[in-house]
Amino acid sequence: MGRSRKSNAAGGLAALVVLCVTSLVLFTVYVREGDQGPLHTIQLGASEVLRPVRGLFGLAASPFQAAGERVEEVLDTREREELEQRAREYEEGAAEAARLRQENGRLRALLEGEQPSFEYAPLARIVAPVGGQLTERVVINVGTNDGVGPEQPVVVGNNILVGRTTDRVTPNTAEVLLVTDRNFAAGVRLLPPEVLGDEPEQESTTPAGETTTVRESTTPRRDLTRLRQDLASAEDSHGEGLLRTNWEGYIGVDYVDLHAEVEQGDFVITSGRAGDRELLFPPGLLVGTVESVSSQDIDQYKKIVVTPALKADDLEEVRVIIGW
Amino acid sequence: MPGQTFIVRGAILVALAALLEAALSPFLTFGWVGPKFVVLGVVVAITNLRELQALLLGFFGGVLVDALGGEHFGVGALSGILAAAISVRASAARLKGEARLVLTQAAAVAVYDLLGLLAPILAGSEGPPLGRYLFGGVVPDVLLNAFLAYLVGGWLLRLVTTKEERWT
Repeated sequence: MGRSRKSNAAGGLAALVVLCVTSLVLFTVYVREGDQGPLHTIQLGASEVLRPVRGLFGLAASPFQAAGERVEEVLDTREREELEQRAREYEEGAAEAARLRQENGRLRALLEGEQPSFEYAPLARIVAPVGGQLTERVVINVGTNDGVGPEQPVVVGNNILVGRTTDRVTPNTAEVLLVTDRNFAAGVRLLPPEVLGDEPEQESTTPAGETTTVRESTTPRRDLTRLRQDLASAEDSHGEGLLRTNWEGYIGVDYVDLHAEVEQGDFVITSGRAGDRELLFPPGLLVGTVESVSSQDIDQYKKIVVTPALKADDLEEVRVIIGW
Repeated sequence: MPGQTFIVRGAILVALAALLEAALSPFLTFGWVGPKFVVLGVVVAITNLRELQALLLGFFGGVLVDALGGEHFGVGALSGILAAAISVRASAARLKGEARLVLTQAAAVAVYDLLGLLAPILAGSEGPPLGRYLFGGVVPDVLLNAFLAYLVGGWLLRLVTTKEERWT
């Protein structure tokens, strides 16, 4: 009896070791094999098969997500204070607000139009988030059948960068690595609003005689084709760096020189090149604006925090740039 | 033949849990915290199974998660095996019922999270700072999943282990 128990325990331990080693072998093969390897192919096939199931769960989860967002908005006092401040500014300058509304309409029309120098895949809908707790990825409902390939920029409107496709592209779906994922990186340039034809701030006087400062918009106005040409020279640039999301949860620009004249409110635009090397993204895609700039004497680079032009939670429909 | 019944029910439970993990968990994951259905499935399903059967079932569940999810292949398999091993040890330590489920689930989820942290680092990516991840990710995740096991574990356990009564 005792011998049988010992034998069972030894057998269990042996099985545990063998299965653990098998798992480690699978992991090693997965990491070392290319994107066309068998394990990647299995995941790709499973992703295609799971698409309807994910879509169903997405449909079921959408009311809860909307409710969650509303709760988040209510709880976010900072955002509420900002909105209240903005409302006060609008109240103080009714005429200015009307002009801004017109301006907003024009910008919206600009965003809805396509950038002629880019070739876009059809408008895509977010199917579902995917991956584990250390990633920020979503699946969209366009794939190789629509001309989408791996590592292509994903935008909202015509030029707001929100992510890039990963290697997992099936005929009808593509996985998108969002800007907020820690593995996302893009070469960016920091440009003052004036370079983009955006007057940074305007002073207006209210009927009560108070002077208020109003920022016109957070979207660059100038034609992006011209912008791309200008970016090649980069004479007006406030600096260059690498856009990344760090583990503290904010998006930042790394490796910006300490002497760079970066200011709050500067636009963060993809640079498209690093020296002589073409990067993954075309130049001129807007990522966001500089929220804060800081540095200490011991630092080698400036610490720059970026407010993204769009929140990942707000994404519904996107487009993949398949050629530029 | 009750042993075979347990295995079949357990395998179905683990397969369903893997499907939920791949398709539903991303919707319910906030930051580093989310439900680990497959760990719960494995912990429940291996009740009344022998050690080898339990380990194989854990491996099966983990491989399914690896295939259906988009993470590094092999990490889910290893997590499934370790969840099964922990659960078997808990049974051997005479822990029974929901107490075993809750404690095993907590331990297995902690292992699962730590493996999830280790995998991208081994693959060459960056990981979050360990201290921040432990207190902001692992601990709340363990608590959430232990609570989940407390809520539904008993019911699932009855579903898997109830013996069929034959008409005579």
